[in-house]
Amino acid sequence: MKSYLTLMLMFPLLGGLISALFGRKLPRRMVELTACATVWGSFVCALLAALAYRSPEKVVLTQWLTAFDLLAPISLYLDPLSLSLAVMIGFVCGLIHVYAVFYMAGETDYARFFALLNLFVFAMLTLILAENLPLLYLGWEGVGFCSYLLIGFWYTDKNNADAGRKAFITTRIGDTAFLVGIAWLFQLFGTFSISELNGMAFLMPGWVITCLGLLFLVGAMGKSAQVPLMVWLPDAMAGPTPVSAMIHAATMVTAGVYLLARMFPLIGGSETVTAAIAITGGVTAFYGASCALAQRDLKRVLAFSTISQIGYMMLGVGAGAITAATFHLLVHAFFKALLFLGAGCVITAMHHEQDIFKMGGLRRTLPVTFWCYLAGAAALAGLPLTGGFFSKDSILSALWLKGGGLYLGLYLLALLTALLTAFYTFRMVYLVFGGTGEKIHTLPELKVMQLVLIPLALLGLFGGILNLPAYLGPGFLKELFAGLAGAAPAEGSHLEEMVLQAVAGALALAGLLAAQLRFGGKARTQRVLEAKSEPSALVSFLSNGWYFDRLYHALLIRPYQAFSSILWQRVDEGAIDDTLDRLARGLGSSGYWLGRWSTGRVSVYIFSFAAGGALLLGYLAWLTL
Amino acid sequence: MSVPLYHVLILAAILFAMGLACVVAWRANVIMMLIGIEIMLNAVMLTFVGGSAHWGIADGQLFALMLMALTSAEVSLALAMVVYLQRRKKSVNTDDFDMMKG
Repeated sequence: MKSYLTLMLMFPLLGGLISALFGRKLPRRMVELTACATVWGSFVCALLAALAYRSPEKVVLTQWLTAFDLLAPISLYLDPLSLSLAVMIGFVCGLIHVYAVFYMAGETDYARFFALLNLFVFAMLTLILAENLPLLYLGWEGVGFCSYLLIGFWYTDKNNADAGRKAFITTRIGDTAFLVGIAWLFQLFGTFSISELNGMAFLMPGWVITCLGLLFLVGAMGKSAQVPLMVWLPDAMAGPTPVSAMIHAATMVTAGVYLLARMFPLIGGSETVTAAIAITGGVTAFYGASCALAQRDLKRVLAFSTISQIGYMMLGVGAGAITAATFHLLVHAFFKALLFLGAGCVITAMHHEQDIFKMGGLRRTLPVTFWCYLAGAAALAGLPLTGGFFSKDSILSALWLKGGGLYLGLYLLALLTALLTAFYTFRMVYLVFGGTGEKIHTLPELKVMQLVLIPLALLGLFGGILNLPAYLGPGFLKELFAGLAGAAPAEGSHLEEMVLQAVAGALALAGLLAAQLRFGGKARTQRVLEAKSEPSALVSFLSNGWYFDRLYHALLIRPYQAFSSILWQRVDEGAIDDTLDRLARGLGSSGYWLGRWSTGRVSVYIFSFAAGGALLLGYLAWLTL
Repeated sequence: MSVPLYHVLILAAILFAMGLACVVAWRANVIMMLIGIEIMLNAVMLTFVGGSAHWGIADGQLFALMLMALTSAEVSLALAMVVYLQRRKKSVNTDDFDMMKG
């Protein structure tokens, strides 16, 4: 087991190092092959580890930080949660790497790209498998760092570089809270080990746990793009499409959900924390779905849908349903990677046009992409019997079964969000694939890129098998997660569950129907015409993400800029520099005036000399008298 | 020894003041300035000799002899320079030589 885990981590690291150090010297095919092979090797190790898995296991690889009683070895922890995520990451990232080889075929800076992509996988696997918090934080920051570099991959365009910076700075706000939480935990318990910490929650008074939980929640908010730190994710679309797929599906935004699920035994004891997590998730889910309704950029629709779906996962964690949240996380990874990669195919075929109102007719010209994309869209919308349906429904039913006014309200909000989700998903599908369109740009690479979509589409469609509802048989994940604390929330009767699923399914179908009425067939042409005119206030409110960017600009950036311009122009240039300048100028001019005394004429010198001697003598005489 | 020390000192002070006045006032001619310097040096020498006579120690007289040697050397050098300056600018006015200004 130890060798499986070590290799699982070392493969992507090795691949990243090879590409980073020798990438420019090696032939291109070689770099691409290394990048893909290492990630697939890591996936094979994860599979072998899964086959050999018997019970949760802790593996210490080597010592890392040791100072007095501060011990943070490089130790890995394999339990159902980390195992299922590691397998998913290996698989999804492996496919994305293969896709990236063809998507980035025209890119000259391939070595940097694949090095970063491999390191991204390494950082995420470190985060997932870490047994202690410093190691987890190492992965956490590694993920943030790689995402910063990859979002700003085409850094010569200022907008892309700005998007990278925005992602880094926004997530940094959350990271700071997380770091404070880690330090505080060490001060309280004297250990960093996650498995030990999770068993020690009862030692502390409730308010401490609540504060810790809220700090961790803020950390998760930053990384998982939850309200109010979600502004970076839509802009993160500036990166290449495979990077977006990685960030959204496997390697970045799910880290926050994972953290909360991982620490749930510690922080889940506090009602306030779970309620805060659930409220954050609910609000974010609704926010993301509402914004996605009005987006015009294909990738931004998907970005907002990710924000919304991560909100669902947070809702699941908040309801104490770790299994449901992880289930949704896994299925979401499959269909969101599928949707992003599909979007990449569409964008490539459309000559890098991303406005969905300018697309159309792709169902005939790109049939493979269309069917796969349709499968992904069905899973995202939660149409009955797709993977997304089962996973979303398990979160919804966990909310319903949790009961109480707050969770009931959140349940209704989540249902409304599900309706919106179905609507915006099929709005996108109708606009992109429906109607008629001009001729597309077919590249030889496109064929392979489409093939990658097929396994993901199958997983998105049939991902429900991972955890079937109780009336259809034993759920695989439920049994796997049985030993996990907080993993077994209240269970309803079969009838109750069926009714809940029927409600969710009916809403998803209603959303599909609404989208069909508004964007299907002839209505589509009219909408495309409407889109050319000025958008209404509501539409621009939604498409600008509720103007959160402007709010933050006015609340934070503007005062900060004003403050720094005061520091710069008044304090630094005005006070400090000016004082020194004037002092220097004063000394210079006085020196100039004094210098005029030395005329070069001997008589003046002799006279000055005699006057000085007279002064000295006069002074001495005055002293003695 | 009938001449008291302070008489000697007063005479030396007067000589020194006159020499200084000569140097400051007669700048139109370097030779006159040199003469002023000589007078000041003689005032100093007189002070040494007076002090030596007053305390009965030979050091002051020795110093006076040394000063004589020094003065003769200085004058010979200075006069050579005066000749040189005269050749260069056809002038012995010190105000004509003001190249070394700050």
